[in-house]
Amino acid sequence: MTDNNASQDAVVIERSFDAPVGLIWQMWTDPEHFKKWYGPDGATISVANMDVRVGGTRLIGMEVHTPNGLMQMWFAGEYREVVENERLVYTESMSDENGNASSPSDIGMPDGHPGTTEVRVELEDLGGRTKMVMTHAGVPRDSPGAAGWTMALDKLAAYVGARSTR
Amino acid sequence: MTAAIDDDRLNETFAALANSTRRAILARLAEGAATVNELAEPFELTLPAVSKHIKVLERAGLVQRSHRAQYRPCVLDAAPLEQISTWAEQYRPVWEARFDRMDDYLTQLRPQRKTGAGDD
Repeated sequence: MTDNNASQDAVVIERSFDAPVGLIWQMWTDPEHFKKWYGPDGATISVANMDVRVGGTRLIGMEVHTPNGLMQMWFAGEYREVVENERLVYTESMSDENGNASSPSDIGMPDGHPGTTEVRVELEDLGGRTKMVMTHAGVPRDSPGAAGWTMALDKLAAYVGARSTR
Repeated sequence: MTAAIDDDRLNETFAALANSTRRAILARLAEGAATVNELAEPFELTLPAVSKHIKVLERAGLVQRSHRAQYRPCVLDAAPLEQISTWAEQYRPVWEARFDRMDDYLTQLRPQRKTGAGDD
């Protein structure tokens, strides 16, 4: 059903909220608001440092409850576009608690890949209501690490697939 | 097809991959089957610690262990990796759930929303 979209490695979600655009902007840029909704089920956002300006950094700490106990995950990135109440673009990579992106060797993968993704949020003021379009895309093609998380996994999967038929 | 995505399983796969030792174990297993002893060697970890990591990988379906052989070698199972190799679509349910929560949270804020600030 979604076969034709397979070429572009991005999720696009459009939603309308019954809230003014300024408040939706805060959902993304105010740590206290952000913490309330962002964590996936079973996860808590413990840290949300956001220097919301172009070139500013962000660091998100997530506590995930696993059968083996609490697991802390970190995601770091940088704001690329900041147009209040209109457009927010930031990058995201898995990182350590200091915001240093995980290196390829940390990830145990052969080829260099910062595993960076880009989140783009576009807001439209509908007069008290807000339309939001969120695009979460894979590594930008022009980046040095374009091999990407996806390709590394593909490669691993293909490699193992080839071997497992013995 | 997207409706068939097993969200829980996907979470487990990502949780399993969110650890550098486990990713290194997978990378080692990509070269071929290995026993727990063999896996433990390069990591300078205790056997119980390595076993714990392998159990997580087993639960996520990324590693299978033979129950026949005495030494029970570990074998990588790439199927869950193939699933998340189209990670973008796989992220859709995560985001949808987030925005559901945002919507709920906005509803909670509504009665307080008078002079802008919604803090307590």
